[in-house]
Amino acid sequence: MSKPPEGAVAGDRPADAAGPEDPMRTRAASRYDHVRLSHGSGGKLTLELIEDLFVAVFSNEPLRELTDAAILENPGGRIAFATDSHTVKPAFFPGGDIGRLAVAGTINDLAVMGATPLYMTSAFLLEEGYPMDDLERIVRSMRATADEAGVKIVAGDTKVLERGHGDGVFINTTGIGFLADDVQMGVAHVRPGDLVLVNGTLGDHGIAVMSRREGLDLAVDLESDVAPLNGLIEAVRLVAPNVRFMRDVTRGGLAAVANEVVHRQTFGLRVFDVAVPIDDVVDQYSEMLGIDPLLAANEGKVMIIVPPEEAEAALGAMKAHPLGREAAIIGDIVRKPEGIALVETAYGSHRVLEMPIEEQLPRIC
Amino acid sequence: MADAPRPIDVDADYTPSTYKDAGLVASLRGRIAELADDIGRPVKLMHICGTHEHEIGRYALRDLLPPSVTVLAGPGCPVCVCDNEYINMAIQLLLLPDVIVTSFGDMLAVPGSIPLEGERRGDVRMSLLDARARGGDVRAVYSVFESRRIAEANPDKQVVFFSVGFETTVVAVAAMLKRGAPDNLSIIEANYYTPPASKLLPTLDGFDIEGFILPGHAVTITGLRVYEPLAELGIACASGGFEPVDVMASVVSLLEQVRDGAPAVTNPYQRLVKYDGNEKAKQETDEVFELAPIRWRGIAEIPASGYKLRPAYQRYSAARRFAGQLDPIALQGAEHPKGCRCAEVTLGQIRPDECGVFGKLCTPDSPYGPCMVSHEGTCRAWFVYGMHKEKLHVEAA
Repeated sequence: MSKPPEGAVAGDRPADAAGPEDPMRTRAASRYDHVRLSHGSGGKLTLELIEDLFVAVFSNEPLRELTDAAILENPGGRIAFATDSHTVKPAFFPGGDIGRLAVAGTINDLAVMGATPLYMTSAFLLEEGYPMDDLERIVRSMRATADEAGVKIVAGDTKVLERGHGDGVFINTTGIGFLADDVQMGVAHVRPGDLVLVNGTLGDHGIAVMSRREGLDLAVDLESDVAPLNGLIEAVRLVAPNVRFMRDVTRGGLAAVANEVVHRQTFGLRVFDVAVPIDDVVDQYSEMLGIDPLLAANEGKVMIIVPPEEAEAALGAMKAHPLGREAAIIGDIVRKPEGIALVETAYGSHRVLEMPIEEQLPRIC
Repeated sequence: MADAPRPIDVDADYTPSTYKDAGLVASLRGRIAELADDIGRPVKLMHICGTHEHEIGRYALRDLLPPSVTVLAGPGCPVCVCDNEYINMAIQLLLLPDVIVTSFGDMLAVPGSIPLEGERRGDVRMSLLDARARGGDVRAVYSVFESRRIAEANPDKQVVFFSVGFETTVVAVAAMLKRGAPDNLSIIEANYYTPPASKLLPTLDGFDIEGFILPGHAVTITGLRVYEPLAELGIACASGGFEPVDVMASVVSLLEQVRDGAPAVTNPYQRLVKYDGNEKAKQETDEVFELAPIRWRGIAEIPASGYKLRPAYQRYSAARRFAGQLDPIALQGAEHPKGCRCAEVTLGQIRPDECGVFGKLCTPDSPYGPCMVSHEGTCRAWFVYGMHKEKLHVEAA
């Protein structure tokens, strides 16, 4: 190579010239300040990155073997299998980061199907020049989140994109969970009279992340709700065995999930505006920015539909869990109007709960 | 239900939630029903602010009005009335080398009149987003001050701020220019002054509106005096805030004026609106801008209704700075795409769902006319809140 790669940044130092080791720092991070193209080329630096960062932090038996595929125990039952790719701006935000998001997102997708998530893979697309310290922070956050959920990250992949061809860091996670044969949930099981619950305040993630976007930089005292929900969901299912339907509430907010439930069905979903838990800060800023909290993103919320006789028990189980203290019954399934999600306002009037169309952006005036 | 409304005491310790209070709304609703009975015939009222339509939809306030009282949406969306000329200008500038166009997000998807080649949906015209897909550098900003930061960070480029809006948004632009802007920043002068448009409405054929809910944000700046001529024409006027209590209180005030046959300019939104408006804001705006004729998209050219830079500030005019590089033919064009009835919707002459393309060819995810693009647009509010549907009758299990 006739000239140094663009990713080589002043201050990058070769090998063992590093000063006293920070015990909290992995060797990979102390060796190069920034990600280089060679970290994704399959050669020596790739191996170093895998061993010194990913294996060191994720640290589990199947991964340590460094085989082409992880070989896993099968606890029996059906397999739930989900994948999700993650990009978020900024990558670090109040209450979380892209690593926590990537792990929790896939775990939640498995958990709402009634599965117990056990294993996951993580694939990184890194932009050349990405700060190694940031990468390490992300990887550690992934491990912490996986531990919280009792999940192992057992395989992975890393590719490095030339500078200017990526947006810092993208992460794909794929997860496997197992579910017992008697778990039967889905829209087909929903009936008029069923009640709709959420495990806490809506819109926290959307507003927290938006507040840190370039151009707004609002000093908002608010954290994202990003969290793995499998523990909470398991607690609910123990006391409410006939849960009809569950869905994690993410992009598009409650509005998107509510609309998915009623789409082409012979029932409607009514949300009582006054019953929806909204953090005061979210309320204030969404009002200011012209954003509806019912459409704002969440990363640690689940909507659960239960038969009325199990609603109190489900609510109690949620409230007893740290991720469900502000849980509430927010609506019900109605006979009419069919196929429509609607909001009943504090004044008894009704509007359609719109299906989100695009990313929520602040309005002009 | 016939309780007299609790009067709003401005000195009391009210919180923002007071203006969403269900008890207050219920008593105002009762008062409106009484007034409608007293009047004994249908009454049409109009608001002229997109945010009002948005809030009326969000809280389904039309559900709370008696059948004889209609509140229509008038020309209250700056993005919707912004003439093609300015959209086409922004697109042309965007396609020049080394030009960054900055704009409020709402404006990005509004088609101008330059045809979008290769599009098969019908008479579809190019928007700033389409121009971006062709390589232009357009950035959504939240304020003119952000445009200034972008200009400062890119001294080797020309940064053009698409200054669209009503008398509220122009204040910030004036404040910024007055305090000094970088040489590489210019603005597209598309700020509209609304009082002349509201005075034009009563001159239109078939006009039968008896009262206006005045735009709360705009009158905070302009004050109420400029609306006295409307009252003299026999049209009731009341300032209007944006919470449910505010909107209902404005309707009460207008119906009282109609019942008494005594049109005036009242101020139910007195917690923010002063009769003479915001003197400092008006003065600064007046130093930088002067009123000139401007075309309202699909409506008309209205005298003294556009803010144009005064000579001392014309160095910031994008139209002047890039005069030699703009194609005058492409700056013209049809007002609205074929079949689009945004102009009639904007004037309150038809409901959005009376337009043949509404909800079919024209939806928020593929808008055809400007009223479906902007969050302030009447068609969009009707679509997203389902106002075009039959009243929602809920039947619980």
